[in-house]
Amino acid sequence: MGSSRFPIPQGTLDMLILQILSLEPAHGYAIARRLQQISREVVQVNQGSLYPALHRLEQRRWLKAEWRQSETGREAKFYSLTRAGHTQLAVEKTSWDRLTASVRLIFDEGK
Amino acid sequence: MAKILNLFRSRRDRLERDLDRELRYHIDRRVDDLMKNGSSEAEARRRASLELGGVAQVQEEVRDTWIWRGLDALVLDVRYSIRGLVKSWGFALGTGAVLGLGLGASVAIFSVVNKVLLQPLAYPDAERIVSVETFWTNTGRASADVSGPDFRDWQAHNDVFETMAHYEGEEDVAVVVADRAGFANDMYVSPNFFSVFGQAASAGRLLTERDVPTGGARPTVVVVRHRWAESHFGSAEAAIGKTITVYGRPTHVVGVAAPGFSYPGATDLWVPWRSTGTNRSASDFNVVGKLKAGVALASAQAQMRTIGDNLSRQHPENRLKTVSLTPLQERLTGNVQVMLWVLMGAVIAVLLIACANIANLMLARAVVRTREIALRAALGAGRSRLVRQLLTESAVLGALAAVVGILLASLLVRLLVALSPANLPRLDEVRVDATVLLFALGLSFVSTLFFGVVPAIHASRLDLSDALKQGGAKGTTSGSGPRLRAALVVAEVALSVVLLSAAGLLLRSFERLQRVDLGFTTKRVLVAYTQYAVNSPEDRLNRPRFYADLLERLRAVPGVSAAAGVAFLPMGRELRPASDYFVEGRPDGQPGERPKAEYNGITPGYFETLGIPIRAGRDFDRTDTPERPRVAIINETLARAAFPGESPLGKQLRRGPKAPWLEIVGVVADTRWQDPSQPPPAVIFAASAQGAGGSLSILVRTSLDEASLSSTLRTLVNDVNPTVPVRFETMEKLFADALAYPRFRTQLIGAFGAIAALLAAVGIFSVLAYLVGQRTREIAVRRAVGAQTADVIRLVVGQGLRLVALGLVLGLAGALAVARLLEGLLYEISPWDVATYLGALTVLGVAALLATVIPAIRATTIAPLIALQQE
Repeated sequence: MGSSRFPIPQGTLDMLILQILSLEPAHGYAIARRLQQISREVVQVNQGSLYPALHRLEQRRWLKAEWRQSETGREAKFYSLTRAGHTQLAVEKTSWDRLTASVRLIFDEGK
Repeated sequence: MAKILNLFRSRRDRLERDLDRELRYHIDRRVDDLMKNGSSEAEARRRASLELGGVAQVQEEVRDTWIWRGLDALVLDVRYSIRGLVKSWGFALGTGAVLGLGLGASVAIFSVVNKVLLQPLAYPDAERIVSVETFWTNTGRASADVSGPDFRDWQAHNDVFETMAHYEGEEDVAVVVADRAGFANDMYVSPNFFSVFGQAASAGRLLTERDVPTGGARPTVVVVRHRWAESHFGSAEAAIGKTITVYGRPTHVVGVAAPGFSYPGATDLWVPWRSTGTNRSASDFNVVGKLKAGVALASAQAQMRTIGDNLSRQHPENRLKTVSLTPLQERLTGNVQVMLWVLMGAVIAVLLIACANIANLMLARAVVRTREIALRAALGAGRSRLVRQLLTESAVLGALAAVVGILLASLLVRLLVALSPANLPRLDEVRVDATVLLFALGLSFVSTLFFGVVPAIHASRLDLSDALKQGGAKGTTSGSGPRLRAALVVAEVALSVVLLSAAGLLLRSFERLQRVDLGFTTKRVLVAYTQYAVNSPEDRLNRPRFYADLLERLRAVPGVSAAAGVAFLPMGRELRPASDYFVEGRPDGQPGERPKAEYNGITPGYFETLGIPIRAGRDFDRTDTPERPRVAIINETLARAAFPGESPLGKQLRRGPKAPWLEIVGVVADTRWQDPSQPPPAVIFAASAQGAGGSLSILVRTSLDEASLSSTLRTLVNDVNPTVPVRFETMEKLFADALAYPRFRTQLIGAFGAIAALLAAVGIFSVLAYLVGQRTREIAVRRAVGAQTADVIRLVVGQGLRLVALGLVLGLAGALAVARLLEGLLYEISPWDVATYLGALTVLGVAALLATVIPAIRATTIAPLIALQQE
């Protein structure tokens, strides 16, 4: 856990999950691995918070889940985005862009 | 409900299963990956779980996201609780039974209190019905007996009453229905009587002004009780228009009262009547009235008081009288109010003790489970979640106890009704109804809070690391546990002392009552009530003959050693006011200040039959006929009061300023009269052959058994006159009935006291056993450094007895405070009776000592080495 990495901002995890799943349906472990890859680069994702987040998103009907055979032949719970999930992802991306853009603007002002 | 629960359960189970699979899949995949990178399997598993932050933790957090969590968690808590309680079923059963018993008893007593004291009488606008009474200013007491002229003046001058009615009656009038003679309770009422109670007829009509006989005629119509109509004619409708013989006179049934109406008491027949007497000193009637809507009792009282004061200025006979109003419910239940509240208090005390015991057990359980709770807390269960879990467990226990309690209560109510004095007001209405159920649920809820909150608070204060470090089942000695437990024990002991002292006082009082010298024998005396109707001068002559004839034949029956007749039975139920008497050659005195004496008509042989010694003079005999001078026998109390220092024999007295003089021919020993706890009153006995008294009750002293003699007697009566009804009783039964109230309350409080003492002993035992367990290590160290067995026993017993002593002292203070309440219920025993309190303290002290001995002995068996090694 290098000091160069910072904990993932509150609420960002949900967005990341939606993003990952918007590419293709995946089970929890696959999502965790993707997150791990991300975290190796920059942010630190606590794996323990992944499953509560998945269930929370499923509760909000942004994700749906089904049991399917995984690449190892075992049944795994695959999550995929619902239509509402896609919309939500778009909304979050937009607001994220606006947020980062405005933060950028503020930073640039000092230059 | 079960379906909904099931739905929840299946959905919940599926979710749990899925979550379990999902996480297992994650871990397994991670383990595979890690092993590919060269980790050992154990190491891989450890890491996988660590990365996730603990499987249980994740599960708990995921569960938190499930939105029906609120309800669902409750179901889960309840399931955990039930599972936990099933596992320790002994505990569940024990607490359920103890609390159920406490609840059941409380609910049963409450159902009586509720009906008798709390619920308004079952009449429309019952709160407006009052008993209008004579208030004696010299004694400061109200008496329900009212004279006819007073009643008429009250009725004429007030404007606060909608209606005011009078009634008067005797029990047991002879009624012949279709050739079968029997008894019925009749009541002479003014025709507006039913409107006071807002009653309508269930068949036929009620009484009207035209039904009231005039010019000295006797009533010819009657309204009958619903139940009486059904039992005699099959239905209310069938009774209408029938002719029955009431006291020898043909009478038409014109109406049947509404089902359930039998006021006053258990009246079967209401006979139309109107007060016409002019004697203001007579006290013939009882008066009830219904206040106008919106008139407050106090203002009605004020107006009636003014009317009464005016009357007392106008009429010398009213000099000491005025009027007072008492709500009818209070008049009916006044005698039993104190008793019922005392019972209610006692049973609540038992319930409190039961709750304290259960709180103790729950606390012990919480301590034993300290490690489990600490573990769950460490694994991420929220503190509030834990407290909720413990409270849920209490609630499940409470619900279990409520079910047991309500079932038990419905049985106990029946037992209670069977044990109660038969004339407890409204007894037949007592049952477990909606109010009672609500009370039961409320009480079980409060109890649950009481015994559930204590352990929950205790658990919420647990120091986790401490609890985990200590480990094992021993839990922790820190925190509020031991102090709380000690306080609970002290409270239990104190409450038990209060109950046992009260029980002791009532028991000793009852014992004295039972051994009270009545002045006559009740053994082997059979009583036969009869009634001989008198409607003509011949009847009046024939009645003494009938009784003389009957007694003659009765005395000839083998096994009968004595027989006599008496108008008013000692220990009988008739309540008559004593009447004034006048002694020849002395001033008559003022009304209301004249001496009073009971008056009774008897046949020769009465004193012999009841074993009452004749102190001077003679018994009545055959020579005391109507043609001869009137004679009387007085008792010693009257002799002392009226003729101090002189012989009463040959003196004359009479019952009214114009009544015939009676010559005193004998003085007999005193006997108690209607209430065994009251000292013997002054009594004048007159000869029934000379017209004293009316119908007689037959007393028979016999060696025969009740059944065979009663059939003989019935045959004898039937032979002489088939219209005379007979009913049997024994003198012992009458005496027992006269003690029905003291017996009832003594039995109940005694039972409550015994249960309380038992529960308290169990409480002390469980606390000490627990404390010894806690101090195992300390005791072992003491033993190791040379403490003897005696020292250890002293240590444990001393600890127990300190608690007990504190409880005894507090309890004694409480008992003395409560004793004042009991004062009115006690007979010839002071509420400060030292022996009783010493007895209660001793009983409880010994029980407590026994309860400390077993833990103490266990403490002596602690082997120092083993106990210390276990640490």
